[in-house]
Amino acid sequence: MLIQVLNGVVYGGLLYLLAVGLVLIFGLREIVNFAHGALFMLGSYIGFSIAAIFDFWLGLAGAIVAMTLVGLCLDAGVLRPLRKHDHMVTVLVTFGILLVLETFATAVWGKAFRSMQPPELLSGTVELFGEPFPVYRLFVIAVSLCVAGGLTVWLRHSRIGLYVRASSVDPTTTGILGVDTDRLSLLVVGLGTGLAGMSGVIAAPLMALSPTMGNFILIESFIVVVVGGLGSFSGAFIAALLIGQIHNMGAVYLPWASTLLPFLLMVCVLIWRPTGIAGGKG
Amino acid sequence: MSISLEGRGLHRSFGGFKALDGVDIAVEAGQIRGLIGPNGAGKSTLIDVLSGRADNWGGQIYLRGEEVTGLKVHERRRRGLARSFQRTNIFPALAVGTQLTVAARALGNEGLDDVVEALSLGHLLDRPAQQISYGDQRRLDLALALVGRPEVLLLDEPAAGLTVEESLQLAAILRDLVKKWGVTVLIVEHDMEVIFSICDRITVLHLGKVLVDDLPDAIKTNPEVISAYLGSQAP
Amino acid sequence: MSGNPTSLTAPAGGRDSGPLSRNWRLLTAAAVAVAAGIAAPHVISSVLWISLLTQAVVDMIFATSVGLLVRQNGRISFGQAAFFGLGGYIFAVSIAREIATPELAIILAVVLPTLIAFLLGLIIARIPGVAHAMLTLAVGQAFYEVVFKWRELANGDDGMSVALPRTLFGFDSGMLQTPGSMLPIVWTILVMILVGFTLMARSPFGQLTEAIRENDERAQFIGYTTTLPRAVIYGASAFVAAVAGLLQTLYNGYISPDMFHWSLSGMALIMAIVGGPKIIWGPALGAFILFFFKDVAGDATEYWPALVGIMLIVVTLLLPEGFAGLAERTDVPLRRLRKGRAS
Repeated sequence: MLIQVLNGVVYGGLLYLLAVGLVLIFGLREIVNFAHGALFMLGSYIGFSIAAIFDFWLGLAGAIVAMTLVGLCLDAGVLRPLRKHDHMVTVLVTFGILLVLETFATAVWGKAFRSMQPPELLSGTVELFGEPFPVYRLFVIAVSLCVAGGLTVWLRHSRIGLYVRASSVDPTTTGILGVDTDRLSLLVVGLGTGLAGMSGVIAAPLMALSPTMGNFILIESFIVVVVGGLGSFSGAFIAALLIGQIHNMGAVYLPWASTLLPFLLMVCVLIWRPTGIAGGKG
Repeated sequence: MSISLEGRGLHRSFGGFKALDGVDIAVEAGQIRGLIGPNGAGKSTLIDVLSGRADNWGGQIYLRGEEVTGLKVHERRRRGLARSFQRTNIFPALAVGTQLTVAARALGNEGLDDVVEALSLGHLLDRPAQQISYGDQRRLDLALALVGRPEVLLLDEPAAGLTVEESLQLAAILRDLVKKWGVTVLIVEHDMEVIFSICDRITVLHLGKVLVDDLPDAIKTNPEVISAYLGSQAP
Repeated sequence: MSGNPTSLTAPAGGRDSGPLSRNWRLLTAAAVAVAAGIAAPHVISSVLWISLLTQAVVDMIFATSVGLLVRQNGRISFGQAAFFGLGGYIFAVSIAREIATPELAIILAVVLPTLIAFLLGLIIARIPGVAHAMLTLAVGQAFYEVVFKWRELANGDDGMSVALPRTLFGFDSGMLQTPGSMLPIVWTILVMILVGFTLMARSPFGQLTEAIRENDERAQFIGYTTTLPRAVIYGASAFVAAVAGLLQTLYNGYISPDMFHWSLSGMALIMAIVGGPKIIWGPALGAFILFFFKDVAGDATEYWPALVGIMLIVVTLLLPEGFAGLAERTDVPLRRLRKGRAS
């Protein structure tokens, strides 16, 4: 039972890494990035390819760097030129990018499922609550908690973090106050996509790699963002852990309904509170 | 005189800040009531609460003695409580005539011609609202509130952004229409010339409370008002 | 509340050469279009082309349903495939399990999705913009998950073939699976839907929903509840999506969970946007263009999604009103030219 809770935290942690990137980008650009799942997938493949030649850690670092660069291009090349357009147009364009990236991955790595081994250092198991538990899963939990902690400290205590939070509440005023929102956005979008790439590599040993591997987790991280309250960092954290538990408990105890439970939770939360748990800006 | 619109013990807070702190207001039928006060006094919040736009507020609201406290925006409007907006709030892509017709369908055609004529919108009926001038948009905003001859009209800075000439013109139009139809008006306006030229009575809000409620001439000379509000603007 | 005509409402017709003549023009155009559709199989000799066209028209109907949501509600949906899939599945499962007579199954297949969308609309109509896009995606995908997993319903992810009864409403059902006779049927249905939507857009209800789309808050302040009209549009839009799903199932005799997949929703949305949802026939045009763009892509079909993605990006950036907007714009000088000649 406790092991199952831990497994839920593992999945919740991965969801958090994706969802928090979506929240970061939403805060600055007021759009939801439909290509986020594709960036997760691309991160996985890049990590996989580098790890095949060198090792896991270099793959992880390479994927983070590569996806951060992709994020910088995404912001400078797409989001910034489109900032004056209707936000829905930008959302559609990110959907177009998703299609392009999936096709690209199919062309490079093919449609067949690939799998990736965890690094040797983390490949064993430890005894937890009288049962064996993979060390690698503990590593995933640790990474997501570190990211959550680091982001919280950064957002609360640094000047840039203050700007990011201010901009998430009211971008126009923040811009007027003399904050360079374009530079801020470059940084934040890069960070968000870098996190997507990171979670892609970290998730790779836990799931099969395929060009469409990002779709399901993207949809669940959408649910996290909506349930947590669009634009809320703490809401995303709570919602990710909650959905992680529901996802995992559902898979164990209610397999036939497991994939539906997060959707049901979302509908219930929205009926109860249309702006989500933490009630951001709709 | 009977009371047209009444608010009792209205309060609303944002976090720890009390935007409205127990406001009582009663506007007599056919009266034009001015609502003034320094920025942040709670004027717009009061209009929002009365019109049903605000959430998380407390108190009671009565329209012609009937309680409308729990009613939604559109239900209050259908009972005759209309409002205009500080920031122009129209239907950008719709033709002027179309939006007035849509409004008239909900509220009755009564007086629609008068509204169009009084606000001189007749020549603009075919134009999409986003293509007409700002002054025309302000008048369209007002026209949307006047369709169906509302019992009570809440005006949130109708002259905002207009030239002096346009504001006085608007004040004159308002006064004529209101007297002709016997509409009760509660008007928030920063332009004191407009306020003193049309209001029968004035309520001064300060820090979410009613400071004074008196006749215009008495307001002009009230020392409390001068220190709280007018004084800050006096040359 | 008297219905007296006023100078505002009375000349409204006169200004536009009369709503009656406008409606006559619409009906004439529709009659011509239907006639062309009936003639098409006799003119086009290639069975392959007729078959392709039939499939294209089904896509056009589907895209029209997405376009309606954009046009009248100002909302974009990433979950419209749910109603497309429901249209097919309700029909197929009902007749396979003998829950209903085939005729009743057809009616259920369009009525139930309409009802479901209306009820869902009551909940999600309040949610604007970006959150709405995410929510429709999630709701749509929830249907996919059920159908994919639930093997007892219709073989889960394998899908199921559908044996049509010999006759439907007294007609030989073989007509539905023969391109030459199915093309006029789907085409006529598309024309009827476009005519219906045009009439709706011109009606008081259509004007009201456009007002709500433009400014939901102000619509409330002129005395309207806005959730209900929005939910009605969700219902109407789902009705058309279900019709498309039903027609596809009748034509192909096959259902699979892909009918519910979000990539199909996304494709329909792209068709609508590429065509230009501000104009009622825009989404249908977009579907037509993309369908044949896919055919032209031919050997490169593996890269087809990327091509669609690029096309979407290019159109949103360069043609904000879509191809239909482009057509209307080029049509204006043409009309002026014609008028100039006539005078």
